[in-house]
Amino acid sequence: MLRIPSLKTGLMALLCLFFLAACADGDPGSAGQPTPDSGKIGVLLVSHGSHSETWRNTLFELENNVRDAILDGGTVSGTKTAFMEYNEPSIATRLKEFDEEGYSDVILVPILLTVSSHSFDDIPTIVGLKDNPESIEMLKLEKIERYTPRANVRITPLLDFGRILRKNVLRRTRGLSKNPADEGLVLIGYGSEPYEQEWAELFDSAAMHVAGETGIDTHSIGWCGHIVRYSLDSTAAAVNRVLEKKKTAIVIPSLVAFDENFQIRIIGGGIEKVEGHKERVRYKPDAILPDPDVEQWVVDISTEYAEKILNQ
Amino acid sequence: MKTRTRDSLRKLNNILHRDLGYFFAGLIIAYSLSGIALNHIDEWNPDFIISKTTLNFERTYDRRSITDEDIATLSSRAGESSFRLYDFPSERQVKIYFRNATLLVDLEEGTGEYEKISRRPLFYQVNVLHRNSVKWWKWASDIFAGTLIVITVTGMLMLRGRNGFAGRGKWLISAGMIPPLIAVVIQHMQ
Repeated sequence: MLRIPSLKTGLMALLCLFFLAACADGDPGSAGQPTPDSGKIGVLLVSHGSHSETWRNTLFELENNVRDAILDGGTVSGTKTAFMEYNEPSIATRLKEFDEEGYSDVILVPILLTVSSHSFDDIPTIVGLKDNPESIEMLKLEKIERYTPRANVRITPLLDFGRILRKNVLRRTRGLSKNPADEGLVLIGYGSEPYEQEWAELFDSAAMHVAGETGIDTHSIGWCGHIVRYSLDSTAAAVNRVLEKKKTAIVIPSLVAFDENFQIRIIGGGIEKVEGHKERVRYKPDAILPDPDVEQWVVDISTEYAEKILNQ
Repeated sequence: MKTRTRDSLRKLNNILHRDLGYFFAGLIIAYSLSGIALNHIDEWNPDFIISKTTLNFERTYDRRSITDEDIATLSSRAGESSFRLYDFPSERQVKIYFRNATLLVDLEEGTGEYEKISRRPLFYQVNVLHRNSVKWWKWASDIFAGTLIVITVTGMLMLRGRNGFAGRGKWLISAGMIPPLIAVVIQHMQ
């Protein structure tokens, strides 16, 4: 039977252990790492991260498809893929690897559609370029490690710089369209609360482009991300807005890659809430990737930034 | 089984129930509080108090000609004497960073949203545990979950007779399973 003194001692030991463990959560630093080789440039493709293996594989595939073209230019020595949250390899893991391999510069290419808290605040805060107070707290809570590498990090612009989305949405809409005069377009995206206007403008411009090319002149926008708390209702409402004016709605998920939770559960589930959806809604649960234009954009932006670094 | 052995086992059962109950009392309350907090995550932020103040600057700005002095003026309107850095998330916006706050200015509208973040006392800490925000805590959490099963099972076996498991216990256990079963059936039917 336990005697009181030994119980006390045990509790004290346990508390000391908790205290020591809490204190051990420090930055390992960059001691013992090689001196960076001047002009050794790496490219890090950074995407959001997902519980979906299909989603992650699509992003690894993107790197596989662009690697040779980037390395062929001779200015970049290596490419890697990282996920901002949920999965390894994380951004910190990859930046540590770049440091260990002696890289002097890392070009960080965010594979994100347009401006959001992730692109504007979280990623720069993770790599030590910003100290956004909200991001710092959230990263800590989500167990996302911050790491300031010895290599210089440069973040490239986002995918919306160009006509990629317009072209991508047009191609996918054409794949589902049968009679443009009777059809309306529904674009569903992740969205971002502080930058809803920018997201809406980006999607509007894609829809206008589709209208000009196909004659599908009605469109609506819905969100499926944190902005609507991952609710199915925004998708259903966007589809219904189009169906008030047109016989058929074509739903295009404007998400970077396929994730069962988004394309099936949220968007697919939202469509199922629409009356007569089997006859009136055309939907393919696909994504922006794979897209040769996105691949070319990654190659171009990486090459452009690598040359800038070498010429500075 | 001999009566003596049965009595010893029952005594051990009761001791286990009592002492594990005492040991995990704090954690059970912490997880329950956090459970309620996280259940309502759509209605409030259980981790942080984010105070938002909307500011009207009574003039607009042009992104191309904005200066450090302009940024300092905007900051002072938010009550901040100095800023750390500023950046442009879009053509129409500038975001100014302070030590524990940010100011997102709509240059075209001449308005801004000043946000200050602080941890929600108690809830932040219990949510850290419930979400396993400390890397090694998931193992402690697994042990805790396993122990909850032990506490429950030993609780069911504590009493004998009319008030024991074989008496009213079996009926109350069955009744307690009805609400979750109804919820699962409704979800399945939808």
